[in-house]
Amino acid sequence: MEPLDMELEEGELELPAEPMHLNMGPSHPAMHGTVRIVLELSGETMVKADVQIGYLHRGFEKMCERGTWAQVFPYVDRLNYVSPMLNNVGYALAVEKLCGLVVPDRCQWYRMALGELARISDHLTCDGAMAMELGAFTPFLWFVKAREMVWDILEEETGARLTHSFGRIGGMANPPTQDFKGLCRAALPKIVDLVEEGERMLLKNRIFIDRLENVGAISGADAVGLGWTGPCLRATGVAYDIRKAHPYLKYDEVDFDVPVGTKGDTLDRFLVRLGEIRQSKRIIEQSIDRMADDGPINCDAPSVILPEKTAVYTTIEATIQHFKLIMEGAKIPAGEVYSYTEGGNGELGYYLVSDGSGTPYRVRIRPPCFQITGGLSKLLEGRMLSDIVPTFGSLNMIGGECDH
Amino acid sequence: MSQLVLDKLKERFTTAIVETHSQHGDDTAVVDPPQWKAICEFLRRDPELDFDLPVDLCGVDYPDRVPRMEVVMHLYSISRGHRIRLKARVGDEDMAGADLDSVTSIWPGMNWLEREVFDMSGVRFRGHPDLRRILMYPEFEGHPLQRTYAADRTQPLVPYRTEAEAGMPIHKLEPFGPDEGMPFGRVRSPRPEDD
Amino acid sequence: MPTFKLDGKTLPFEPGDTIIRAAWRQGIEIPHYCWHPGLSAPANCRMCLVDIQPKPGQRPLALDVLEWDAKAGEYLPRQKPKLQPACYVAAADGMEVLADTSEHVRRARHDVQEFLLLNHPVDCPICDQSGECKLQDYWLDYGQYQKRMRDEPVHKPKGVVFGPTIVYDAERCVMCTRCVRFMAEVAKDPVLDMRERGSLNEIIVAPGRRLDGHYTFMTEHVCPVGALTTKDFRFKARVWFLRTARAVCQGCATGCNAHLDYDPRSNRAYRYRPRDNEKVNKFWMCDEGMLSYKEAHDGRILEPKVRGVATSAGKALDEIKTVFAGVAPGSVAIVLSAEHSLEDNWALYEFGTVLLGSKNVYVTGRRDGYHDDILIHRDKNANSTGVQQIAPVAKPLRMLVDDVGASRVTHVIALGGAAPVDPEALGAATMVTIAAHEGPLSRLAVVLLPATSWAEHSGTYVNAKGMRQVSEKAIEPLGVSKPAWQSIAQVAAALGYEASWTKLHEIRARMTAVKGIPNTARPPAAVPAE
Repeated sequence: MEPLDMELEEGELELPAEPMHLNMGPSHPAMHGTVRIVLELSGETMVKADVQIGYLHRGFEKMCERGTWAQVFPYVDRLNYVSPMLNNVGYALAVEKLCGLVVPDRCQWYRMALGELARISDHLTCDGAMAMELGAFTPFLWFVKAREMVWDILEEETGARLTHSFGRIGGMANPPTQDFKGLCRAALPKIVDLVEEGERMLLKNRIFIDRLENVGAISGADAVGLGWTGPCLRATGVAYDIRKAHPYLKYDEVDFDVPVGTKGDTLDRFLVRLGEIRQSKRIIEQSIDRMADDGPINCDAPSVILPEKTAVYTTIEATIQHFKLIMEGAKIPAGEVYSYTEGGNGELGYYLVSDGSGTPYRVRIRPPCFQITGGLSKLLEGRMLSDIVPTFGSLNMIGGECDH
Repeated sequence: MSQLVLDKLKERFTTAIVETHSQHGDDTAVVDPPQWKAICEFLRRDPELDFDLPVDLCGVDYPDRVPRMEVVMHLYSISRGHRIRLKARVGDEDMAGADLDSVTSIWPGMNWLEREVFDMSGVRFRGHPDLRRILMYPEFEGHPLQRTYAADRTQPLVPYRTEAEAGMPIHKLEPFGPDEGMPFGRVRSPRPEDD
Repeated sequence: MPTFKLDGKTLPFEPGDTIIRAAWRQGIEIPHYCWHPGLSAPANCRMCLVDIQPKPGQRPLALDVLEWDAKAGEYLPRQKPKLQPACYVAAADGMEVLADTSEHVRRARHDVQEFLLLNHPVDCPICDQSGECKLQDYWLDYGQYQKRMRDEPVHKPKGVVFGPTIVYDAERCVMCTRCVRFMAEVAKDPVLDMRERGSLNEIIVAPGRRLDGHYTFMTEHVCPVGALTTKDFRFKARVWFLRTARAVCQGCATGCNAHLDYDPRSNRAYRYRPRDNEKVNKFWMCDEGMLSYKEAHDGRILEPKVRGVATSAGKALDEIKTVFAGVAPGSVAIVLSAEHSLEDNWALYEFGTVLLGSKNVYVTGRRDGYHDDILIHRDKNANSTGVQQIAPVAKPLRMLVDDVGASRVTHVIALGGAAPVDPEALGAATMVTIAAHEGPLSRLAVVLLPATSWAEHSGTYVNAKGMRQVSEKAIEPLGVSKPAWQSIAQVAAALGYEASWTKLHEIRARMTAVKGIPNTARPPAAVPAE
């Protein structure tokens, strides 16, 4: 150990020090969906942060090449598994773009309503988990209670709370149930009430604000250069929302606003998501008002839509149709397409390459939180160790999506 | 989609733009790999184009073609609202020569994307600050998304025990063979002649 | 070269070709059931209807029909073009034909498909044709409608045993008469015929007869639906799990081209299907050939044996070294096999004559058998001509029996287990046999090495007409068998000689250089195309 330098200014003591390596390993309570951050610490300050992902990589893109187009739906469900309906809808729209199919209006409203319900579930989870990790357990439970209401509706519609596999090429698996509209109308005000209760508890709390404000800030230009999209980008002030900029389904026919932040710090990301929950409520209410109560949900396209089961068991034509669609897969015309929708975390893109057969040639999933997590190390540099928790929580990195 | 982007590209880079198309409304340009970085720089800096958001980078393997690996980049301009897909074909049948210039200096977001393309498809990026695997562990051998990588290949870090070492019959559950899944509808390359 | 236009594309044709045949030659498929390139065209399925444009100045062929007009709310008289069957109308120079691009043709295909499926049983889950069925394919391509009939479909006999090999299902039958015409025109045995009319139609066997003969499997092959099935293959495997290899049948010297279908998961060969080859077997194969796929698994030698006891390859090679120690090359004989591929035979010939220096070369194979003037050759070996090309001096096996009896030959290295004469006397010599199947020579062997059968390696075979054909590898080698040319290299090494070949393409290149046999290694372009 080197001797102390006695010619120091008063108050300045130079101690020889090497940076300490700390491993926030993949198995960690605050590491949403297994991420490893290898930190170089100088005291409490992070000098370097190496974010290592890939612990939840399940090889989806390779698996998609070994099944049919319809067998991809369960895979995309498990990408952003807190808003799976948005993934389903995004993929269905991508394949329909390749085929040149447009689903009936009733289906479009239905997809919008279900998608926004999934978005609400996503934001509730993210914000609730953020609060919990900072010690505020009660608002987490309130948000989870609100999320349960969303999941109850989705369970009624699709049969599953989380991984529905409800989308189909050319429509949805089942038409809306009779109770759908009633359930939505009853649940949404309660959900917003719970959100407001949580806000009242959190946003007046000095400690909570101090831990989030000005922490993990990023400028709009930097965020764009990093490829950020979605609530994290909008928190920096860049008002890019695909639903407004390039509307798909019927987003151009509904009224809603896009919450945009100013400073791009963790607090703004937190608040943007809460704001989006309210906007989603508006979209859902308008969608179910406009959705017809009867009419077809699926396109009239026997080359992609499965026939009715009663017909399959009794007529040869339906049997043949069922056989061809299941065994060989729906034949999607050869070509390539990039289709993008606003997922829970931002621009969820699918780049599909088809060789004309029933098996996809390549399914590339553009995961929004992959890019966002790529910016994490920049956000953390120079900050203190305990800032990792709120910063990382506010990015909403979903392991399934980031690692596909 | 606007033809503006493709027109400007063709005007500025003429022969480096090998082919273009706008299938399903997506403007696409296939470019010469040596000009990759110059074209990206132009797309980023030109005020009329202003592609500031790096959307995606991926590799698509066409093993029946030479060059076999197609690196596909999607870009978006927030101010102008237009998109472009840029493609470059690299690599011969053994993936020799599958190199491209890194564009991390133009868009920092490409850092992780290029690492992913390297990891999954085996394309190296010259000038990348930190080109290492991102999704797979460092000792992984091979590049999974290449079509010549068999999906049933196992990669134990620790070799499987033999029956002799285990002292009992080992029923190893067959890995998902290359002929399982849905072999029927797939368009398949012919089997190579055995030697 | 006269040409005609199909959907705007100009296609050449041979004079006398029908439209469908001309399109088929160019690789374009006009949908059909009853037409077959190897049979006459009866034009009874009406699926190949096309719209032939009238010549300029000629009045178009039209039909007066009544069509429902939704706006007027009643049936109005219209004219629609009369479509012609492409399988019957000869192509003419300058003819313009519309197929996929004509709305009338598409409507016609839709309607024909509807009629064919009207009384069709809902058998897809249990029908063997599922996965390679034209009704399924054409429904998806041209139909895509649901059933309109509300009545019970007509029921007919199912599971009718036609003969020792074929089972018939009348409900699935679309009455294309391909089977009837095949038996009459190609097999020259008109034993099948059609009975009744309209929706009571069914195919029957002539009274007092069964569907037997040497070409019954072909009736199943030509049947476009699952009406005719073979007892051998039915319910054995689903076709979408089967991969295919372009093989050459090993049943006789005709060398019919075939598809060997195998399941890679269980590594089993399941059936043969004929492969089209205008110059060899046209579109057909005989029953014995069709069943010969079983030889990939039956009667196989799968492990090395020394004096009948299974052992390891290393020990077998050691035994060879021991028994051959100090033996003069002049008393060693090599026996080539007319069943094995050119590569195997060349390796043994090279080893025996060049490395070992022996002059005693013989050839063995299976005995002659039944022959006819359609496809079946009396020589039941696939490569007799090939062995003759490699070793013109090879003597028949009976001369080896004499030579062993006279002790001119004491040691034998034989390829293949079959023998055309009784080889018991060969037991006096010390024999090393490399074979895939059990046979007289394998039983007499002191050391037996397992070889891969034709299905497990890529091999070249020369048929009776002198055509070289490559049979692709299908299944992986069974047991510990190796291609014979590999085992021969190992035997050479055991005896202290270095074989000049390690890879298949090296043998093929050397075969060319030494014997003037064109290189069939990469790619088999010298082989007559399908």
